[in-house]
Amino acid sequence: MELTPVLRSEWLKIRTLRSLPGALLALFAATTAFSAIAGVSETSDPGFDPLFTALSGVVPGQIAAVSFGAMAVSSEFQSGALRLSLAAVPRRGRWFAAKAAVIAVPALLVGLVTALAALLVARAGLGPAADGLGAGEQVRGVVGCGVYLMLMALFAAGLAALLRSGVATLSLLIPFILVVSFVIGDATGTVADFLPDKAGQLVLRETYDGTLGPWSGLAVTALWAAAALLAGAWSLRRRDA
Amino acid sequence: MTSIDVQDLTKEYGSTRAVDGLTFRVLPGRVTGFLGPNGAGKSTTMRLVLGLDRPTAGSATLGGRAYPELREPLRHVGALLDAHAAHGSRTARDHLRVLATSNRIPDGRVDEVLEETGLASVARRRVRTYSLGMRQRLGIAAALLGDPGVVMLDEPSNGLDPEGIVWIRQLLRRLAGEGRTVLVSSHLMNETASFADHLVVLGRGRLLADTPMRDFIHARVQPSVRIRTSDPAALRSALARHGHDAVEHPDGHWTVHHARVDDIGRIASAAGVPVLELAAEEGTLEQAYFDLTSAEAEFTTQPQEA
Repeated sequence: MELTPVLRSEWLKIRTLRSLPGALLALFAATTAFSAIAGVSETSDPGFDPLFTALSGVVPGQIAAVSFGAMAVSSEFQSGALRLSLAAVPRRGRWFAAKAAVIAVPALLVGLVTALAALLVARAGLGPAADGLGAGEQVRGVVGCGVYLMLMALFAAGLAALLRSGVATLSLLIPFILVVSFVIGDATGTVADFLPDKAGQLVLRETYDGTLGPWSGLAVTALWAAAALLAGAWSLRRRDA
Repeated sequence: MTSIDVQDLTKEYGSTRAVDGLTFRVLPGRVTGFLGPNGAGKSTTMRLVLGLDRPTAGSATLGGRAYPELREPLRHVGALLDAHAAHGSRTARDHLRVLATSNRIPDGRVDEVLEETGLASVARRRVRTYSLGMRQRLGIAAALLGDPGVVMLDEPSNGLDPEGIVWIRQLLRRLAGEGRTVLVSSHLMNETASFADHLVVLGRGRLLADTPMRDFIHARVQPSVRIRTSDPAALRSALARHGHDAVEHPDGHWTVHHARVDDIGRIASAAGVPVLELAAEEGTLEQAYFDLTSAEAEFTTQPQEA
């Protein structure tokens, strides 16, 4: 079988389920809204990082990206849907690759637009406090943010294929994202630096310390996403549908 | 045309054998009824044929090829496994478009099968608003999408209204008449008898019968004759002379067991018995099936190795 018809079919699946484009819209709305709020908050904190403040809407907003990836896969695990899909496309590896592609591309594009909008909205609020930001840093922040959101969506997609459930995936990932961000917080130099969200969010910061930089941090997130996708593909190929 | 070939097929889930050394062929040009009680292995066999489950041993092929090797498989094999497989939030038309696109089937064909299954007027409604009967029709529409040479339907009559039952019967006859290979599982005997030419019967994962339906019934159920007369005494003695045993019913008609209607007609005529009514009572598939399964039950109540 050729890959193109499979890609088209999977893309049609995403478009024809209202909740999936809805999740991407929520990603945009939640991220820009939280960034706008962050833009008008206190900026005298000594740890103030104007780039991270501007893009901080991603921390809650990424839950929508994660939901998008998880739901796109978990819709296949409801009442025999997977059997129908695999009867149409019996090459499971190819089918799952197409599924990952139609999750990755929209997540990346919406992620880039979202990051740009969040930065602009937050800068309008921050005013002179963000004047120190260089163009390069801002491009890195926006591009990195889009890639980060895509990787988190793929990470969730891989987990959903492995666990065969969107509910299980989200109840694992959402507390994890919230706990890591708010409980472990700014503690650096621990193994927590290598968690998928913590490592990937380094790309959103103007200044950073520790072993990982912005791009190497994003690479760590990419490794997590690749591992989850491979585990999901392995489970899909090995188990009865 | 393509046949379904099942060869020494075995599937174990943990320690249970859902399918146990099955071998049979489903040939084109006729409707093969796939019978057996719940849990006999009918659905498992269909999943194995579609490459959805992996066999523990043996093989299932379509015209000599394993299902996953088929290029654009929906153009070769159409299957209905579960009427609930369509996502409730999609419209019926979008559901079929998704399937069609993956096998490069044009959207025009989607509208054709919607028309054929009587769903055209509700095609843009979300599947969650559908009744079970409508979902069955949608599942059948999906099976017909690629105009396949092999059609496999698991319990297609479930939830259909009386019109739907007649429709599916005619559809199955037509598909077989066009030379397609048609395998239809059911646990409704009278329903299966109305469309099947051939039977494959399973019990506990094993093959119990693979035979033409008429032969299956005739081998297991002796036909009887229904007769009504105005002169019971003459009838009884005429039958007794030819060694036939007749049973009288309260409403006045008689049943002659193990007899053919031609013979009884001649006997009555020769003896000058006035006949008011004479009819053959063919054995039913249900009777034949229960004869087979009760024999099987006796066989299987023997203690087995665990």
